[in-house]
Amino acid sequence: MNSFIRNVAVASIATVAIVSLAACASGASASSDSSKKSTVYFGVSAAETGPYAAYGEQFKEAFDLAVEQVNAKGGINGHPVALKYEDSQSDPKQSVAVAQKFVQDSSISLVFGDYSSAASIPASPIYTAGKLVQYGFNNSNPDFTLKGSEYQWSTSVTTNSTYEWEADYIKKQGIKSVGVTYLDTADWGIPAYAAFKAEAKKIGLKITDAEGVLDSSDDYRPSLSNAVAGNPQAFVHIGYGPDAAKIVTQLRAIGYKGKFYGGQDEQSFDGTADATGSIAGAEFLETNPAKNVASFVKAFKKKYPSETDVTGFEAGAYDALNVAVAAAKIGGTTRAGILKGFKKVKNVPSVVYGTITFDQSTRRPAAPKLTPTVLKGGKWIAIAS
Amino acid sequence: MLDTLIAGLLRGNVYALGAVGISLVFGVMNVVNFAQFSFFGLGAMLAWFFISTLGFPFWLALPLVLAICAALGFIINISVVRPLAKFLPLAAMLSTYAVSQILDNASQIAFTAQFRVFPQVLPNSNLHIGNMRFGTSDLVMLGTTAAVMIVMSLFLKYGKIGRAIRATSQDQEAALQMGIPVGQVQHVSFVIASALGGLAGVFIALYVGVANPASGLNIGLTAFVAATLGGLGSLVGAVIGGFVLGILEAFGIHFFGDTSRQIIVFVILIVVLIVRPGGLLGKVPLISIEPLTGTFLGKGRPLRIPKWVWPAAFVLIGIVIPLLQNDYVLTTGTQVLIYAIIAAGFTVTAGQAGVLALGQAGPIAIGAYTSAVLTLYLHFSFWLALPLAGLVAAIVASILASPIWGVKGHYISIATLGLGIAIVAIIQLVVPQGIYNIPVPEWFGTALNTPTTYYLIDFGVLVITLVIMWRIRRSHLGKVISSVGSDEVAALASGVRGRNYKALAFAISAFFAGIGGSLLAHQYTYIDPTIFTMLMSLLVVTIVIMGGVGLPYGAVVGAIILIGAMEALRFTPELRIIVYGLVLILVVRFRPGGILVKNS
Repeated sequence: MNSFIRNVAVASIATVAIVSLAACASGASASSDSSKKSTVYFGVSAAETGPYAAYGEQFKEAFDLAVEQVNAKGGINGHPVALKYEDSQSDPKQSVAVAQKFVQDSSISLVFGDYSSAASIPASPIYTAGKLVQYGFNNSNPDFTLKGSEYQWSTSVTTNSTYEWEADYIKKQGIKSVGVTYLDTADWGIPAYAAFKAEAKKIGLKITDAEGVLDSSDDYRPSLSNAVAGNPQAFVHIGYGPDAAKIVTQLRAIGYKGKFYGGQDEQSFDGTADATGSIAGAEFLETNPAKNVASFVKAFKKKYPSETDVTGFEAGAYDALNVAVAAAKIGGTTRAGILKGFKKVKNVPSVVYGTITFDQSTRRPAAPKLTPTVLKGGKWIAIAS
Repeated sequence: MLDTLIAGLLRGNVYALGAVGISLVFGVMNVVNFAQFSFFGLGAMLAWFFISTLGFPFWLALPLVLAICAALGFIINISVVRPLAKFLPLAAMLSTYAVSQILDNASQIAFTAQFRVFPQVLPNSNLHIGNMRFGTSDLVMLGTTAAVMIVMSLFLKYGKIGRAIRATSQDQEAALQMGIPVGQVQHVSFVIASALGGLAGVFIALYVGVANPASGLNIGLTAFVAATLGGLGSLVGAVIGGFVLGILEAFGIHFFGDTSRQIIVFVILIVVLIVRPGGLLGKVPLISIEPLTGTFLGKGRPLRIPKWVWPAAFVLIGIVIPLLQNDYVLTTGTQVLIYAIIAAGFTVTAGQAGVLALGQAGPIAIGAYTSAVLTLYLHFSFWLALPLAGLVAAIVASILASPIWGVKGHYISIATLGLGIAIVAIIQLVVPQGIYNIPVPEWFGTALNTPTTYYLIDFGVLVITLVIMWRIRRSHLGKVISSVGSDEVAALASGVRGRNYKALAFAISAFFAGIGGSLLAHQYTYIDPTIFTMLMSLLVVTIVIMGGVGLPYGAVVGAIILIGAMEALRFTPELRIIVYGLVLILVVRFRPGGILVKNS
């Protein structure tokens, strides 16, 4: 009797194991039959729960708004658009399974995501093998597309292009020479400065001196004296908000009067008295007077009345859906068609850049247009060009 | 200097408040309570909701938050923790982890995951000493910590229930024999701890300025370290631990920079535990009961596995599934198999040597990076890099872990947790960027990068792992390691050096963790430090406990359930994590010793 019970118990555990595996299988097959043939499905691999859930929620709100608007205008050549969300928790263990699930689901013709490099890049080989475009609209890490295949695309601005843009913008203001400080960090500051330097050389912007600094330091005066020794017309700091706040204060203290390019929309910088008048490139600005931005912000706040701010995360997701739809309109709604569309699509209206056209060699926006902003009275305001 | 000291004091105060609740529950119930982390986040969100959304004044919102947290704590204790804590603290710990998942997720559903700007109920930068700015809010917080401590210590010293709490934490069985209602005492402690968790959450949010439902985790972890530092179970120790950690951390950041914060925290912890194995104020009992040993194994009802199951399972997992299932199941299967390999190797440490190491992400990361560097830069073949990754992980992890084997019980768990986090933090310092394009496995020029080939490679490695584990368990060495786990004092009396065998067991586990890391790296083709998190370490431990802590093949069952369930529950996306938590609780409730527990 006892051994009978044991056998039953063992058998039931084996059944549980098999059933849970079978459940995975049936779950996958259930989602793959698409009764509505005319609907175009895009997959979203993002964190809906876990530590990154806040970003997943922002993406979802913007995606849903964009889908609503696209469908109201007749969808993709008459095909309505719908999204299939899968929660990856931005965890590679789950993002690879989600990738495989999307690849296998023949109704999916493009996938957005994932959020972090650690979740997106491990999934990339699976999307590539499945010939499915992985649109990592949020991946600012240049290597996501650079080291990926022709199936990895992104409309996020990379740190490199941010500072290339900055060099171009400074030059356009008629400034001929700059002094520079940059954060001496291998993963961010050094490559960002290298990009700025290369662009400056290309366009003939003179760098009188560049000093590497650490954000944890308090006294930057010795570095700053060196940096402004050559009397540059303007000053550039490549870094974050808090270090920029200390630098701009000490820069004024040593008597430098040129324009300060740097800083970040961040509490400590915004609250620094000497920071007023600082100029920085913003990807997205809620107060941007451009018509499409204003109508996006209005529609967003109407649909989500509890949201007080519209940030770059929502704007990026909103843009991404519109880019995907534009690509599908050109190349067709199949996986191959969407890839073809990405290779041809041009001048897609964007709330972040104005318009988006891909640089086909980097699979990123060509010459991403950031919005120049100036800090006035603790608020960043777009500079009308 | 003065600025740094004040910054450290403010930081330490937050840790101290958090640490008191953790220490209280531990002292009375001998349970590490992960749900306490959730109360930090929940307390903050509730306060935000009452003040910002409902417009309540702070002084009304605060008691409401405390009452809700206390009530929730009572429910959790009655339904989940107490039924298990009585005889299986480890199972109770696992279920508090499940409870914390449920609480975080319920809070996310209620309040959304957005970071909320916490209302500035008290000014927080209106005063300054030197250049260091602080505010009334910080002073109120400091006062609250002091008041809580004074009230608590008076209560524990003179109150009837307080004295019962102390008696219970000293010797539960003796207290019961003396007529102390241990059950009620535990309820009271749990309720107080939960309310304190909510209180700490509110003050943490006041200090940081923003909060979201998951924001309790990081400060919670540091508070947990502070409680350990002070000596688990000692309330004064928790407060001292909080301040010591806050101040040393502030000075460490001052001198070494913010990037080394986690390394500083855990180096402090490990050094303190080596010098004082029971924490600053904790007492080390002469004969300590390891959380995984002694009565633990005997409690489970064993399932005897008939011989036919083995070939059947081999055929099912190794042949039927790869033939019949689709790529999605196989990709999920690869993750299940890799974690089964890591967890099966871990059973030597957790099951046989009786050391509940919580830092397996460390050796996994070492294995992954070793294998990536060997194949990518030195052009080793994957098949050679795989065992080497295990070897390097075993050697490096053993060297780094060597000082901690004198530490006992729960303290060794926390020390290894710190070790795992510190290893990953060091890797991040050395290689801040991710490693790309890690070569996929090849067989005479053919790339083995389909889900089926990954699955079969992982399956092959798992079979080898299980055979090795089976051989080890049956060998003389395995019996000696088990003797250390079963009764360290008896083993010592028989001339077995427990320390050395624990270290050896850890090295064996690290070897398989390294192998698992290598397999992950070559499948993902990309690694960076954010992959190897504390949650990864917790998953390995959970799998082992779920399957039966001493059973390598139990790890396979544990991995199927814990990783498979996350995928299987995709049919209910909103409730996925909550259902997952409930499944975990139910399994632990009905098979507290693990699903396939073996009789000792």
